[in-house]
Formats: sequence, C-alpha cells, structure tokens
Amino acid sequence: MSANGKRWSSNPLLEMEGVSVDFPVKRAYPFSKKRWIQAVTDVSLQISEGETFGIVGESGCGKSTLANAMIGMVPPTAGTVRFQGDDLYSLKPKAFRAARRNMQMIFQDPFSSLNPRFTVYDIIKEPMYIRGGASEAVMKDKVLELLQLVGLDEEDLYRYPSDFSGGQRQRIGIARAIILNPKFLVCDEPVSGLDVSVHAQILNLLTEIQKSRNLTYVFISHNLAVVKNICQDMLVMYLGKAMEAGESTAVFANPLHPYTKALLSAILDIDMHRARERILLEGDIPSPIDPPKGCRFWQRCPFAMVGCETIPAELVEVEPGHQVACHLVSGFSEKQKAVGYDRPVSPQPAPEKASAAE
Amino acid sequence: MTETVLEVRNLKVAFPCAGGVIRAVEGIDLVTKKGECVALVGESGCGKSVTALSIMKLLRTPPSVSRIDKLELDGRDLTHLTDRDMERVRGKDMAIIFQDAMTALNPVMTVGKQIDEVYRRHTKLGKKEAREQTIRALELVGVPEPRSRAKAFPHELSGGMRQRVLIALAFACMPKLIIADEPTTSLDVTIQAQVLDVLKSMQRNHDVSALLITHDLSVVANMADAVYVMYSGKIVGRAPKQQLFMDPLHPYTQGLLASVPRISDGKQAFVQIPDTVPHPMRKPSGCYFHPRCFRASDRCREHMPRLENLENGRQIRCWHPLHQERGA
Amino acid sequence: MSRRNVLLQVARRGGSFMSLLKKLWQHPKGRVGLVLVGCLVLVAVLAPVLAPYDPYDVTQRVEKGLHPSLAHPLGTTITTGQDILSMLIYGSRVSLMIGISTGVAIAFLGALMGVMAGYIGGFVDNLIMRTVDILLVIPTLPLIIVLTNLLGRSYFVIVMVFVVFGWTGLARVIRSLVLVLKNSNYVKAAELAGASRWYIMTKHILPGTSHLIIMNTTLTCAGIMVAEAGLSFLGLGDPTAISWGKMLAEAQGGGALLFGAWWWILAPGVGIFLAVFSFMRIGIVMEEVFNPRMKASSSIYKLFKHMNNTYLDEVFRSMDNEESDESAERPNPSDAPLPEGSHD
Repeated sequence: MSANGKRWSSNPLLEMEGVSVDFPVKRAYPFSKKRWIQAVTDVSLQISEGETFGIVGESGCGKSTLANAMIGMVPPTAGTVRFQGDDLYSLKPKAFRAARRNMQMIFQDPFSSLNPRFTVYDIIKEPMYIRGGASEAVMKDKVLELLQLVGLDEEDLYRYPSDFSGGQRQRIGIARAIILNPKFLVCDEPVSGLDVSVHAQILNLLTEIQKSRNLTYVFISHNLAVVKNICQDMLVMYLGKAMEAGESTAVFANPLHPYTKALLSAILDIDMHRARERILLEGDIPSPIDPPKGCRFWQRCPFAMVGCETIPAELVEVEPGHQVACHLVSGFSEKQKAVGYDRPVSPQPAPEKASAAE
Repeated sequence: MTETVLEVRNLKVAFPCAGGVIRAVEGIDLVTKKGECVALVGESGCGKSVTALSIMKLLRTPPSVSRIDKLELDGRDLTHLTDRDMERVRGKDMAIIFQDAMTALNPVMTVGKQIDEVYRRHTKLGKKEAREQTIRALELVGVPEPRSRAKAFPHELSGGMRQRVLIALAFACMPKLIIADEPTTSLDVTIQAQVLDVLKSMQRNHDVSALLITHDLSVVANMADAVYVMYSGKIVGRAPKQQLFMDPLHPYTQGLLASVPRISDGKQAFVQIPDTVPHPMRKPSGCYFHPRCFRASDRCREHMPRLENLENGRQIRCWHPLHQERGA
Repeated sequence: MSRRNVLLQVARRGGSFMSLLKKLWQHPKGRVGLVLVGCLVLVAVLAPVLAPYDPYDVTQRVEKGLHPSLAHPLGTTITTGQDILSMLIYGSRVSLMIGISTGVAIAFLGALMGVMAGYIGGFVDNLIMRTVDILLVIPTLPLIIVLTNLLGRSYFVIVMVFVVFGWTGLARVIRSLVLVLKNSNYVKAAELAGASRWYIMTKHILPGTSHLIIMNTTLTCAGIMVAEAGLSFLGLGDPTAISWGKMLAEAQGGGALLFGAWWWILAPGVGIFLAVFSFMRIGIVMEEVFNPRMKASSSIYKLFKHMNNTYLDEVFRSMDNEESDESAERPNPSDAPLPEGSHD
C-alpha cells in the first residue's frame, strides 16, 4: 500500500519504503546514554514521473532530511530509497554518481546557495564542467540558453551574485540545477526566503520548466497555499512522521488531521469577506531528540486523547487517495476504549523546554 | 478627533557610495493616530526598513545622510534632538521590534537581564522590582513559566519564544509608538500566527500605536488599520485597510494583491509583476514604476506624479489610477 | 586540472591580487603600509647598490667608533669599525627573507592542513588536530637552543622550527572556516553534480579561505621578523650573517650605551620597528578591506569630506522630482483628512 494513496504504479520514478533517518547526538560525556535525533521515522512514498510531489511541514519535521535522503546525501538508517527501480544506496560508486546526476536541488536561501566568488557563468556551467566532456563553446551556448530561459540577460554572464536580488539569484540557482537535464528536482522551500511578490515569478518559472522538460518535482514548503496550487500529491510531516498523505485535491477538500487543519488555519487570508475558523496551537515545536512514544503531535493537539500519548498512530486510508495517521479519525479498538484511552485530555500543558541544544 | 502620535514630514535618506548615491527614501510623510496600527508595505529594497531606522534616529551619518523637516512623537518635536536626548526617548516612548530575534538579542545575557535593563534605564526601579516587572511582561506575551524562562539565554529559546521576548522588550515601558520591522517573516507558519496574535492583542489592549513594516500583505490584512504602500523610496498610496484590499487604486498595489497565493483559489498560474524593483542607484525617469506597469503612458515615462490627497484619507501617486479612464 | 586551467586560475588569482593591491592603495593607512613594504623590499633587493660600503668585506673596515658624519651617516661600530648604514641595509635582507619565506611556508602548510582537516573530517581531522595539540605544547625557544647546539647556529634551523611549529595557528583558524563552508549550499550542489573531493577543496573551499590566509600571513611575517630579531639578539642565529637583532646584540655588548653611541642602537631598532609596522599595517587594513563592515569611520569620512553641503543639497533636491505645478507648496500631511474609525 503506497503512502500517497495511489494504486501501485508499476514504475514510479522515486520510491521510499519505510525510510528512517536517525542522527546520533554528541554525548555530553562518555558513557552517558546515547541519544538519537529521529529526524525521519518510517516514511514511505511514491513519486511518479512528471508530477509535483509536495512535502509540507515546519522546522524540525524532517522534510529537509527526507529530501537529502532522496537525493543520496544521507543514507537512511532503515528502509530503502529506490530511484528508477534501483536501490540508490546500494549502487556502485560510478552508477551512484550517474544516478545522482539525474537529480538536482534548489535551495532555500538564495544568498548562500551561490558561491560569491564565482561569476554567474561559472556557477551555471559548473555541473556540466564537473561532468566533463564538453568544450568551452558548447558550455557557453548552453549557459546562454538557460540564462534566457530564466529571464536574465547575456550581460549578466560575468557578474557576481552580489549584484543580484534574491529572486534573481534563485533564478540563477534554477538555471544551474537544470543544465544537466536532470529528471528529478528537489525544491527545498525555494521561495520562503523571498518577498511574497517575487514568489509568483519563481513559481511560474518552475512550472513552465517542468512542463517543457517533463521534470518531476519534490516541492518542500510550509506554505499550503502554494502547495495546493502546484502539487498533485502531498505529504504532511510533523516531527519526522507522516501525519496525512494523499492526492492534494482530496487532502485540501477534506483535511482530517488536526495538524493539517491548524496549518491551514494559520495561513493568514487576505480575503476580506471570509472569516475562517482559527485554530491556534499552543506551545512550540518540540525537539526531535527522543520524541514522544505515541502520536508525535499529541502535546499540541487540541483534540488529544489519553491513548494518543502512548499508542503511535499509523497511516490509514480514509478514502481513495487519502491517508491519515490520527486516532481521532481511525478510532481506538474496543479493548483500548475499555481502558479509557479515548477520553480527551484537558487543556494541554505547554511542553517543558522547547528545542534543547542539538 | 483622535490625536496624532507620530508625524513624519519629508523624510529623505541617501547613502553616498563609491559608484554614486543610493537614494533610499525620497521625501515621505507618515502619520499615525493614537491606538492605530499603520502598515508600511513594499518589496525588499524599497526603503521601508531605512524609514523605520530613521524614525528611531538609528542611522549613523556616515554612511547615510538624511534630512527631515519634522519628526513629532505625541506632540514632542524630535527633529533636532541630539543623540543623547534620543537615547532617553528610545525604549521609553518609542520602541522597535526587529526581524531577526537571534541577532537582536545579546547572546551572552539572559533574556530576563535584557528586559530588566530597559526598566532600569528608563524608570527608577531597583533590581528586584525590575525583575518583577520583567516577569509580568513575559507573562503578558505568553511565555510559559516566565520566572524560569527569564534566566534562559537567547539560544536556549525557540524562534517563537525569542520573538515574544522582543515583543516584551518593546512593550516594557508601554511606549507611545512601536515599530515592528518584519516581526514574523522568519518564523514558521503556526508560530507566526501565534506571535502575530500576541502582537495584535498587546497593541489593542494597551492602546499603543504601531508602525508595521512588512512585505507580506497577509500580515497587513490581519493587523493593520491603515496602509501606506511604498515603492522605490516613495509613498505611492495610502488607504484604510479595507479599501486598499477591496478597491486598490495604484497598479502596483493591485499587482501586490494579485501575487499573493490564495488558499481559496483553484489551480491556476500565479499572477506576477514583471521584472524587478529598480536598483536604488539607477532609477528610471518619470514614475519609478512605469517599466513594470501595464497602464504606463508617455506621461508616466517622463514625469513623476505627485502624491494626491483623496477623500477618506486616501492618497495616491499615479497618473492613471485604477478606476479612472486612461486619459492622454 | 589541465594546464590551461591552471594558467587561467593563476591569471584570475593574479587579477584579484591586483584588485586587492588597488584597494589597499586607496586606503590611506594601507597606502602607508604598502609604501613602506615596497621600500623595504627595494632596499633588501638593491642592497649592494644602495649600501655605501660592503660590511662583509673586511678590507672596507674603517676607523672604529666614528660618530655620524657625511661619510658615515650612521657612524661606525665600536667593535669592528663597520659602517652602520650599510649594515642596516644589508640587515634588511635577513629579516625580510626569513620573515617572508617562513610566512609563505606556514601559509602553505597551515592552509593545506586546515582544509584537509576541516573538509575530510573523521580520522584525518583527528590526526591533524592532535598533531596540532602536541606541537603547541612543545616550547620552541628551548628547542631552538638545543637544536642550534646540535646542528650549528644557522637560520635554516630557525626557519625550520618556525615552520614546523608555526602552521598550527593558521590550520586551526582555517579549519573552523572550512567547517562552515563545507555546509554551504553551493558545495552541496557541486557534490550533487558529482564533484570529487579534490575539486571541491580546490575550487570552493580553498578560495573561500584565501582572504584569511593572506591576512594571517602578513601578520605572521611581522611576528616572525620580531622573533628572528630576538633570536639573533640571543646569539642563536647565523654568526656570519648581518641581521638587525645581531646588531642590537653587538651594540649592547660593544658598550654602545656606555659610550653614548645611540645611533648604533637606534638604527636596527627603527629598522625592526618599521618592518613589523608596515606588515601589520597591511594586515589590519586587509581585514577592513575584506570585511567592509569593519570600516573605521575615518575612511568613510574621507569620502564624505569630498562631499560638501552643496552636493548633498543637490542630491536631496533631486528627490523632489515630482511634476511641478503652480501650487508648488508641499501639501501639509496633517491637513489630509484622516480615515474615520478604522479599527476592525
């Protein structure tokens, strides 16, 4: 059963099964108990060719780690990552490098994703230069072609990143990402660091490029409005686990998980006519070190029940193409109800210490 | 008639540098009434942060030069105040909330001590009383367990907590004016909602005027009463919030509104304003917005429109505002 | 890397070096430093031409203990009758040579070690850092004394010890910077494209540390020159060479203070001071150049001094570029009717 609720497609471009990624925390002193940051726990998903897959969540939810695991930067502690059918992390170095060249990434911060000492020309041609096998003239042509595609001029070729605005730098980053014609592009919050008015430009550019080159995107964001607009499938993550998953039309039409609902209500609407129900979550996002045993959201959930603290919630299909991991939705068994697990917990105490030093 | 708390008249700021002059702010006027939250909206590089710093007189003369005809805070003329006198005003009558809490707070002092400092500087309170006030302030902004949290260092707190500390710092002496420079831009969505809520309730409940500086119209929609729109150093429009959102007059405002992705829309392309903001050293002739404006005419290319006062407190700087037929 | 690429790299590096020199020249304090260093280098290189006498040539010894005169602007030594001015000029050779060569060697070694430790991490990092820790513990002065006893007094020994023990500071500093650079997104992008570790180290990491290396090297040179002077003073340097430190030792031993031959002490002292001062000046200015936020207000005031009030008036007047009207009065903003009841 695939996590995004789709029927098994015979050859998804990227597939993750039960992937977990844990990082060890440096011990305060030797022989103290070893602690782990459970960045990602048991996430499965399937991404088909040509689609845009959205991963939604806030800081600490593991979305960046998940993205890194997808592109071969972080080997998972458990589970497999399959790209075009091959287990990515079991490939031989040469095949691994070749597979990785089919993937690229666009980063969140436009100011640190370009080397300030490189000219625009150097930056964009770099992937091609590293791969080798192309003459300077060929590379220059390709770079010029891409510059035009992303909306910059030829005279920008020998300028330095410091001459450009955030939106323009992001475009340079996009040009760099597509020069080798990758099949798979991970966009890690590509517009979060930019002004709202520039979002539209960059997003339109990305969708244009996707259509003309049949690219597959993984779009990571915490802005649901954007995700709704461009993603076909999505995954909502909190503290390393999947809370809700499925086709985005289904999820937005009927958001079931309390966290999804809170995210939706947190989006400030500028529609003057509508007053939406606001769900304000108490407390801060807790630290991913030694997360709670049960549902990881229970401490901030306005609908938490006694059982949520100890029994983990699994993704359950509630309708075709829509899965939710929540006890409120899937209910408790009769045996659990008998013990009183379904009693709601009275107002949540705010969690003790927010993010401890990691 | 409610009184004016802040009046800024003809503020001009420039940054001379090796290649020319950066004309950051070109003669703007701002007015804030008591208890009102006024938003200053514009994209990055339009000069809004520089405006905030100028009002607080935090810009140093090299590298900036500024001229201002009048700066009045609650009837008191600050225009010619020396730095030393301004120090007594800042924090007490006027306060600022910066965007990045991590750099706005001193990393080697506990947050409690930093708030204590404000009290001890501006009021006659001793150490213990100041700490009591600090704890009360932290409680007010919704920091749980304020007594123990006051002893924490900034890096031990989460982003949302830090921002609340900044809010507590700003509201400590109940100033007449709070300037909030992109207070929630760097926060997560749910935390952003929380912090804005706190800011809004503090501002309303204590009848404090606020100048909110942001590029995010959704924040404006939820907090502001009146909105100034700024473009490339000039104010291009002013309107009460409802009217700005429902009935924008300036093409730039319309573009800004349209480019905000809505949750209620179906799948469609995002509306974008073409090109980018002009470089502050190389501004276009005539109206600064004309290269990106779909209503631009020859007049726009040659002459900069004046800021006209319309009824109901609206101002507009445009030769062809929306709702007018495109004349010659 | 192909040969053409190496040449391109050098050319680009040379280009940026020239722009660095230009920036230093523009800065008033930097100009002083550059001029001084330039003079120093010229003096050292052209020593045989500039010095009126050859202090190494025994036949050119003249009367001992002469006061400064036209023939001997700085007099002669009391002990051997050498012309002090010539000794001063020749002495610059030793100082500069040791200072610069040691500095450059330390730069190479320190940068290489720092980059490897920082980027490769793991075992290599541990190995290098523990080596640094050990080297820092060993006291250098006693070691030099011991070694010069064993291997004879020569500058080679001194330079060797400086280099072997001196790279540690730079390596540590470079390593911390590399740890930061390693996580940059552009490095990640290059890794995704399949870049080898060597590529990333040479094209991204090393250039990112270049400003630190240059700055550190100039300050190191200054420090080494002082250290060398001190060691020569103690008699641990080459007894046949002429160095400023040795001149000071001779002056003290030869009774300069006793006989009031202040010029004998002053000359090498001023020499050492000027050499160290000029290098430090360049180092400090470079820090300002590389980190524009640290600009001392004095340099910006220079810029502002050029602008008088009329220029600023002009700038501000240009901001009133609205289409002028008959009613040229600026509308009073408080006259504008304010919106009524705008609370939610």
